[in-house]
Amino acid sequence: MNMIEKLVSSLFSDVGVYDAIRVTFCMSVCSTLISSVIGIALGLALERFRFPGKRIVVRINRTLMGVPPVVVGLVVYMLIMRRGPLGFLGILFTVRGMILAQTLIITPIICGMTYSYAVKAAPAVRVFARTMGASRWQTSVLLVKEMKYELYFAMISGFGRSISEVGAVMLVGGNIKGNTRTMTTAIALLKSQGIFHEGLTLGLLLLAMAFVIQCMADFLRKEAQEDENY
Amino acid sequence: MRITEEGRRPLDMRILNLEKRIGDFQLKIDDLTIEEGKIHGFIGGNGSGKTTAAKLIMDILRPDAGRIEYGGLKLSDITMTSQRPYLLHDTVYANLVYPLKIRGIKPQEERIREMLAMFGMQDKARQYARSLSSGEQQKLSMLRAMIFEPKLLIIDETLSNMDPESVDKFEEMILDIQRKRPVTWIMISHRLSHLYRLCDRLHFFARGRVIASGTGDGILFESSEPEIRRFMSKEMIAGKKETQE
Repeated sequence: MNMIEKLVSSLFSDVGVYDAIRVTFCMSVCSTLISSVIGIALGLALERFRFPGKRIVVRINRTLMGVPPVVVGLVVYMLIMRRGPLGFLGILFTVRGMILAQTLIITPIICGMTYSYAVKAAPAVRVFARTMGASRWQTSVLLVKEMKYELYFAMISGFGRSISEVGAVMLVGGNIKGNTRTMTTAIALLKSQGIFHEGLTLGLLLLAMAFVIQCMADFLRKEAQEDENY
Repeated sequence: MRITEEGRRPLDMRILNLEKRIGDFQLKIDDLTIEEGKIHGFIGGNGSGKTTAAKLIMDILRPDAGRIEYGGLKLSDITMTSQRPYLLHDTVYANLVYPLKIRGIKPQEERIREMLAMFGMQDKARQYARSLSSGEQQKLSMLRAMIFEPKLLIIDETLSNMDPESVDKFEEMILDIQRKRPVTWIMISHRLSHLYRLCDRLHFFARGRVIASGTGDGILFESSEPEIRRFMSKEMIAGKKETQE
């Protein structure tokens, strides 16, 4: 760990880049995990149950998939600021506050993707499960298993969105060095200080991470399709 | 076995006044008895209602009216295979043991090896199931349906895409099962040759109705129903062509 820290420090002047990488990962992983649990459960439930206004709920979710993160950041800021309804939690300008904002941004993405995949896959899986005599619970478990590659892909997409986000974390986190500064907010700061080459290097590092994530997503998609005998 | 006044056994399945509309098509079965331990054949042209009836029995579709008396059968005792079987995104082995797994039954490895070997798939246990040829996929779905010993098996056109040798083997297997521990079968096909050899009773479907039920000879050769006569003449022409080829 020390070696990586030294290497990162040698590349960048003192904007707390090493901590920014750590915070970025911590925030992205936590928010992706929370969003995955909520988003996948909601997506599957949305596919499973019929209720009045379902189409409206689906449309709202699709709208939220493209909501500007800065708007979410502003809403979360107003909720968790000292005089806000959730001010008592004391999570403004903390990583937990940033995780909350990120969760609100990426949950609709994972929920929407899960719903779209489930709409296609679930009818066949349910009929199959019925013919095999599976219980409701066994059918639900089977559906998740049968969609595992698609669900990984949804999670990776959520993680990709989270890692590259800047507006909401800037508002909610406050870009505090060594504490809530992320890679993206560090780039914004480097730009404002005129240290473009370091900003660009950090940007390339972020891009490389995003590339690795997309490679993982592509690999999973390929795994899902490969070997099928059409 | 106790026989009721109407000549039915208590475990026979009975379909009464069943109706189901799908788009312009309507299935209507007034009274159909599926006798326990017998091989039944649903025969008829495309779109005549055979598969719809099977899906209603399997509770995949809900009827608009009427009812099915299962005669002591539970839905978990019934299974169905289709022409385009659903295979899990997993290996051949995982597909085969799935019905055992959900019932908490430990798979008998020797028996699984024998079953696969019987259809030349002994080396494919670890292969991704969806990479099999369509004929092999159908064999796998048949084996998977048979492995947990259900009490009623609905085979929907599953034999029609297999090579003749495999069809013969499955037919032997079915007859062997019937000798040891009779189960109820519903074989669905529009190919007469598959059903005539195997079935104890045939039910001829046309325009969403069961227009004749009885033994193979009875309904196919002695019936005066115009639909059956037309169907028979086409089947005979197809059979002659196959023989010539």
